[in-house]
Amino acid sequence: MRWVDGRAPGVTLPVGTLSRLAHLWWGDRLDPDWRPRTRDQNQALLESLGLMGDFWRLA
Amino acid sequence: MDEGDRAVRNLTYHLFVDLGRAPTVADVAAAAGSTTAEVGASWHRLHDAHALVLQPDTTELRMANPFSAVATPYRVHADDRWWFANCAWDAFGICAALRVDGRIETTCAECADSIVCEVVDQRPDDGELLFHCLVPAARWWDDIVFT
Repeated sequence: MRWVDGRAPGVTLPVGTLSRLAHLWWGDRLDPDWRPRTRDQNQALLESLGLMGDFWRLA
Repeated sequence: MDEGDRAVRNLTYHLFVDLGRAPTVADVAAAAGSTTAEVGASWHRLHDAHALVLQPDTTELRMANPFSAVATPYRVHADDRWWFANCAWDAFGICAALRVDGRIETTCAECADSIVCEVVDQRPDDGELLFHCLVPAARWWDDIVFT
């Protein structure tokens, strides 16, 4: 892919999976009682969609 | 994140949606009955906590994820307004945050073709599209603008 410009290629997701991820990840952002998720909560959210392995391991 | 910073963060997000643009530090200070110095200090702490993103060395918003404070190639029509998202993920995220259907307009990063995607009931109308994520999760916040 030209735009990768020599970097490691990363991963691709079907856009349906992306939409599910976005709704899980961002759906609470305007909630009046919003609180930041922990790293482990975010990791579990990724794993709930099958996004596992080194690429998806959060810092 | 203490309760004061969480309140500033929530007010910042709600002003972003109410105004249809990124609020300034003065907007938030006026709405909070606070000072620009206090809100600016809170924004810097929130930036460090990855709860929003400031332009480098300023008290100007760059991102209130998934919303972008600056024009980007990811345009979203949702809740009767056009918004800019930070990336394709965030474009769906704007529909998610607003809890509405929407229309995403962008271009393919590889071939520059125009892409239009309707989001209805949280689902994209074109399941053939692919999202390319270049940066591994552990490095997303090394440079969130590039990510």
